[in-house]
Amino acid sequence: MLSVLLYILVIVNLCVGSVSLSVGEVLALLTGQDANPISHSIIYDIRLPRLLAALLLGGALALSGLLLQTFFHNPIAGPYVLGVSSSAKLVVALTMIFCLKRGFVMTSPLMVAAAFGGAMLSMGFVLLAAAKVPSMEILVICGVIVGYFCSAATEFVVTFADDASIVNLHYWSMGSFSGIGWEHIGVMSVFVCAGLVGTILLAKPMSAYQLGESYAANLGVPVRLFRVALIILSGLLTATVTAFAGPISFVGMAVPHLIKVLFSTERPHILIPAVFLGGACFCLFSDLAARMLFSPTELSISAVTSVIGAPIVIWMLLKRKG
Amino acid sequence: MPATPILEVKNLTIGYGAKSVCTDIHFFLQPGEICCVIGPNGGGKSTLLSTLCRQLPPLSGEILLENMPVETILAKDFAKKAAILTTRRPRTELTTCREIVESGRYPYTGTFGLLSDDDHAAVDLAMREAAVTELADALFSEISDGQKQRVMLAKAFAQETELLILDEPTSFLDIRYQLEFLQSLSKKVRQDKLSVVMSMHEVETAAKIADTVVCLGDGKMQACGRAEIVTDELIQKLFHIDTALFGQLKLT
Repeated sequence: MLSVLLYILVIVNLCVGSVSLSVGEVLALLTGQDANPISHSIIYDIRLPRLLAALLLGGALALSGLLLQTFFHNPIAGPYVLGVSSSAKLVVALTMIFCLKRGFVMTSPLMVAAAFGGAMLSMGFVLLAAAKVPSMEILVICGVIVGYFCSAATEFVVTFADDASIVNLHYWSMGSFSGIGWEHIGVMSVFVCAGLVGTILLAKPMSAYQLGESYAANLGVPVRLFRVALIILSGLLTATVTAFAGPISFVGMAVPHLIKVLFSTERPHILIPAVFLGGACFCLFSDLAARMLFSPTELSISAVTSVIGAPIVIWMLLKRKG
Repeated sequence: MPATPILEVKNLTIGYGAKSVCTDIHFFLQPGEICCVIGPNGGGKSTLLSTLCRQLPPLSGEILLENMPVETILAKDFAKKAAILTTRRPRTELTTCREIVESGRYPYTGTFGLLSDDDHAAVDLAMREAAVTELADALFSEISDGQKQRVMLAKAFAQETELLILDEPTSFLDIRYQLEFLQSLSKKVRQDKLSVVMSMHEVETAAKIADTVVCLGDGKMQACGRAEIVTDELIQKLFHIDTALFGQLKLT
């Protein structure tokens, strides 16, 4: 069902835009039967990479949320809430300015590495706080504070950066899937696939971990190692997303929950692929909305995901209380 | 000739970090026997069980499982030898009871944790033995405490271990659920020659179901032996009360 939805969204994303193309035209272009250079360029240079980016990064973000929710036994956890995205963004911004000063442009693996460093930094902070005060409320508050702090610091950095850097930074820090080229897609898919495969390998211990730590340990799960793996994988996935599209809110929190309710299960074997596809659909749809709602003005992707995601999260919180 | 004990505890001191909770613990357990750990709150019952299932390191002394020091056994092998049931129930949302029981097969499945036909058969059997077959599709979060406890017992059965370590399995259950739980347990124990170590608050029930009794209190093991050692005098000494007979207990 999800794959059908994904398929439809893929086609719609390819067809709709400031230059509309019919389904037939798109298919003809993709199969190489049509050689109209303008539409060819629209599809191959703009829409297709953007679509793939939304698909891969959306899936990665949702997956990262699922990993964090497993880690914290808390449905509110997500890369954005815990400040992971913002902190990744700050470190990327700093590295970007540093590199531009030195007169060279950052390569995409370097961006991911910087974002990963930032992600680990904030995770480390939140985990330290969690070890001191073992309460979920405190943890989430810590995450939110880290997030605000990093956003403020990024603003600061952007304000005082050179003009040339600002153009780059400002656009990126709003969050967008635009301007992603094929060379980015390659790097991105390597990281996202690594994250996806790693997560699938964790499906078995994840199911045992859902019973609680002592039961998991008794069943033979190396709990400490497993927790480290969860953190590193979710950090990697968040970092990849942040490096290419900036911080995107609510996908990591809302999608896993939606999928759980939709499939009415918590089995990781079903959840992992479903959450990935769900995240991909969510981001494709959001990107379509970002492009088209006020076309030709483009919205930031995070604005759209928030508008869609926030009500979902509120609904899910209210439902839990009852 | 006596069989080799499945579990042997020698000179054990348990506690957290530098703080000792209970010292001088020694007892052994034969296959097919139930050992009840009794004593006042804070006497070290749960601490002992956590130590036995390796979730807490012993401060000193030795624990032998089938003549092997437990700390030398690999985690994945230990998972096939000892199953636990703790006082903390899993907090799941959309997990069915059958999925909970299936998790007991964890040590036997491959990389992806997919269940074979044998695994499914073991799960079916465990659910029958714990009398929870009809709960298979119910959500674990929506059943009663008594039912949850039986589902967790089924999960422990599905793990197919020789030893079960149960922490206060009958607390918070009403008398009917207590009886049902203990009947399922003792039937399985006699039939498959399992061994059980469990802590209990209800001294009289413990004396009835147990083959051996271990009494912890006041920072050391107060007594250990066959169930017959549980007398009024022992109870009085262990719990610091004047009378052990519930009928005569007076509130002053």
